[in-house]
Amino acid sequence: MRSLQRILHVEDVPSIQVVTRIALEKLGGFTVLSCASAHAALEQAQTFQPDLILLDVMLPQMSGIELLRRLAPLIDLQRTVVVLLTGQPDDPASPDELQRLGVRKLLHKPFDPLQLAAQLNEIWITEHE
Amino acid sequence: MESSNPTPAPAPHRELSRLAALLRYEILDTPDEAAFDDIAHLAAHICQTPSALISLVDDHRQWFKSRVGLDVSETARGVSFCTHTIEGQDVFEVRDARLDQRFSDNPLVTGEPHIRFYAGAPLTSPDGFNLGTVCVIDAKPRSLSEEQRTALARLSRQVMRLFEERLHAHRYAEQAAMQQALLNSAASAMLVTNADGYITGVNPTAERLFGYSEQLLIGQPLTQTLFPIDALVRRASILSDERGETVEPGFAVLTAPLAEGQREMREWRLLHRNGSTVPVLLNVSAIHDEHEVLRGYIVSAYDLAHQEHLQLRLQQIAAQVPGLLFQFCWRPDGNSSFPYLSEGLEDVYGLSAAEMAPSIAPIYSRVHPEDREHVLASIRHAASTLTPWQFEHRIDHPRKGVIWVEARATPMRQPDGSVLWHGLVTDVTERKAEQLELDKQQEMNRRLLEALSEAVVACDAEGNLTLFNNTARIWHNLDVHDVGPEHWAEYYRLFHADGETPLSMDEVPLMRALRGERIRNQEMTIVVNGTVRHVLANADPMFASNGQQSGAVVVLHDITERKQIEIMQRDFVSTVSHELRTPLTSITASLGLICGRVMGEVPEYLRELLEIAHQNSKRLSALIDDLLDIDKLYAGKMRFDMQAHPLQPLLEDALRNNQGYADSYSVSIEMDQCPAVAVHVDAMRLEQVLSNLLSNAAKYSPAGETVALSARLVEPQRVRVSVSDKGPGIADAFRERIFGKFAQADSSDTRQQGGTGLGLAISKQLMEHMDGEIGFDSTPGAGACFWFELPCHALGEAAT
Repeated sequence: MRSLQRILHVEDVPSIQVVTRIALEKLGGFTVLSCASAHAALEQAQTFQPDLILLDVMLPQMSGIELLRRLAPLIDLQRTVVVLLTGQPDDPASPDELQRLGVRKLLHKPFDPLQLAAQLNEIWITEHE
Repeated sequence: MESSNPTPAPAPHRELSRLAALLRYEILDTPDEAAFDDIAHLAAHICQTPSALISLVDDHRQWFKSRVGLDVSETARGVSFCTHTIEGQDVFEVRDARLDQRFSDNPLVTGEPHIRFYAGAPLTSPDGFNLGTVCVIDAKPRSLSEEQRTALARLSRQVMRLFEERLHAHRYAEQAAMQQALLNSAASAMLVTNADGYITGVNPTAERLFGYSEQLLIGQPLTQTLFPIDALVRRASILSDERGETVEPGFAVLTAPLAEGQREMREWRLLHRNGSTVPVLLNVSAIHDEHEVLRGYIVSAYDLAHQEHLQLRLQQIAAQVPGLLFQFCWRPDGNSSFPYLSEGLEDVYGLSAAEMAPSIAPIYSRVHPEDREHVLASIRHAASTLTPWQFEHRIDHPRKGVIWVEARATPMRQPDGSVLWHGLVTDVTERKAEQLELDKQQEMNRRLLEALSEAVVACDAEGNLTLFNNTARIWHNLDVHDVGPEHWAEYYRLFHADGETPLSMDEVPLMRALRGERIRNQEMTIVVNGTVRHVLANADPMFASNGQQSGAVVVLHDITERKQIEIMQRDFVSTVSHELRTPLTSITASLGLICGRVMGEVPEYLRELLEIAHQNSKRLSALIDDLLDIDKLYAGKMRFDMQAHPLQPLLEDALRNNQGYADSYSVSIEMDQCPAVAVHVDAMRLEQVLSNLLSNAAKYSPAGETVALSARLVEPQRVRVSVSDKGPGIADAFRERIFGKFAQADSSDTRQQGGTGLGLAISKQLMEHMDGEIGFDSTPGAGACFWFELPCHALGEAAT
């Protein structure tokens, strides 16, 4: 089994983006591409070829779900693990759509950036077992 | 018997009167009487004749009351000589019947007893009727001397006197019998005395009334026997004063007034033989004979005991009636009187019996001047219409001042045109004052109700709405309407606190109170025209003085503003918490990366400060997380992912996750028994509750102690999970609010013990959302045991 390597991280809050990126790089040893907006992610996703996409549902201008909908034609989301971060109690879309958009896990805020690497590894292993 | 010599034919009218006079003496066909026979013998002797008769002539015969020398008792009138005698006024004499053509062929002349001589004197009644004769007869012709004729006439008058006496004797006997009967049957006791006052006769009533037999009374002095001496002395002294001369205290007391022609009628209390007294009305009359000579007295005594008894009864009844009972008579001439007034006269009008005149004037003068005209007018109206009179008015009472009375009476028209009233006057001052006070209070209550900012609604025992105060009318935009309790919620727009679910009939506070409940702070809403008004309802049943429920009342307090402030506060906390969380997350994570040496070694001199910063940023995060949880719980926005989980692994996970925290307090956690059951929960939320209980137990345990985690079945389908520590326990003062928000045993505790004070409040909410229950047992100083209970089922069985 190939190990988890490349993570596309979409987060609009700069401080969270930095802390998360450092934690993932330093604690998980992953290659992380951090994007501050959905547009930036949409531009770079195809080139970056992520193993896993970690994105916040609440993003300015374009929501996380909308971003996934636009990414779907560009990359194979069934082979790319998608993990959503949400602060809302409700599901951001129907279970069917979430599955179609490759969402494997909804992580509810608050999340601990220091445990994030371990959590993502766990999801990756579950995906490939 | 035909005769050429017609007998004299008397005038028919006069003859009838004569016969009536004859019959009046009741002498015909009576037995012989010596007095009459003596006269007949005298007549025969004087006239020297063998026969003499006293003869009475009725319509068809002559009947002999007495006869000498003759055997027949009567003969036919047609042949009688006497018929001729009674035609005249003088002695009728026939010297030789054979020579007198009126009698020559008379059978008494031609045959037995061969009468030749006849002389008769008529019996003339005082009113002038000749009833018969005294006559003498001889079988030889002869004549009477003048002396003999005179003697015969005298004898006839003597016979008439005997008739009169005989008649009087009869009449007298009858009268005497009647008088005796009257006396015997008299309702009054009758005592007859001689002129000296000694009893000569009594009637049975007297025997009965005084208890003596007739024999015991006859011959006794009346006053000494039946009259109390002190009463006689009293009366004698009064009479002496009146008459200016001494009246002895004896029989004279009764007779002295008669001497002046006064009728003596007076009430006395006489002595009964058994020593008791008998109330009587005594009447004394003198008996004079025809020569005005005093023969004695008749004393009649009318028994007043019955009347006295009635009077006593009326008095006793009247004494029980509060107020004045009266009988009032209003005569056509304008005069008036009070035949009866009870003793309430003093109480109501301040008048003594002595002050009372026969008229209405003394009472009228007591009526308050302002009310007099109305009182009089109302009486006149009632009298003219003969309708019951009822009138409240004021009395100027000499002792009590102005009092209020209620007078009521029923008028009755009497045959003489007067109006007789029976009525009652009662003092109603107190009632009036109470009424005034009540009116005042009611007015005050009404004003109070209208001024209240609370809405007040009341209903009677039958569920009819009786009161909506001003606020209630405004809030409902409706007033009291005839709406049954089953339609109250719909009609008056009553909803649950959510402002959407209509109240059912059984949930309406007023209805619940009507059924006997006391309602405190029931939250509900009134939704009128889309505006939601949040109110707290307090309702109570109302009871009458006899303990019967008389209705219910509800007071509604508007909490809309408070609700809005609460929502604003919650929104504010929620917003602030959200805004705080992002920067806190980055600070905590940054410090975590540094302190976890992810970014390389940390210089020694910075390490302690960075640790402090890291720990406190974590506490802040925990506080924010708790605040957001509470907010979600209260807003009902927290999602629960309820699934069946075996209990034991959940407990073991929680133990493992909290072991590190416990270690930091040098406290160990041990797992005791756990039944093989599954619970239906949101695993993450249950873990949150367990973490809270375990971390609290570790935090409050002395170093080196053990926290015990265990579970057991309390019912076949219910499991209790307990966390026991050896800490200080829960102080009594804290028990009440331990599950409240921001609760810690001591407010100074928060910092020392580390914690948000929200943990137990959140745990309680979480457990209740999962159909569980949370609680604790504790003895201060002997540790605490926090527990929660959940429905469960045995492993391998489907949840029911």
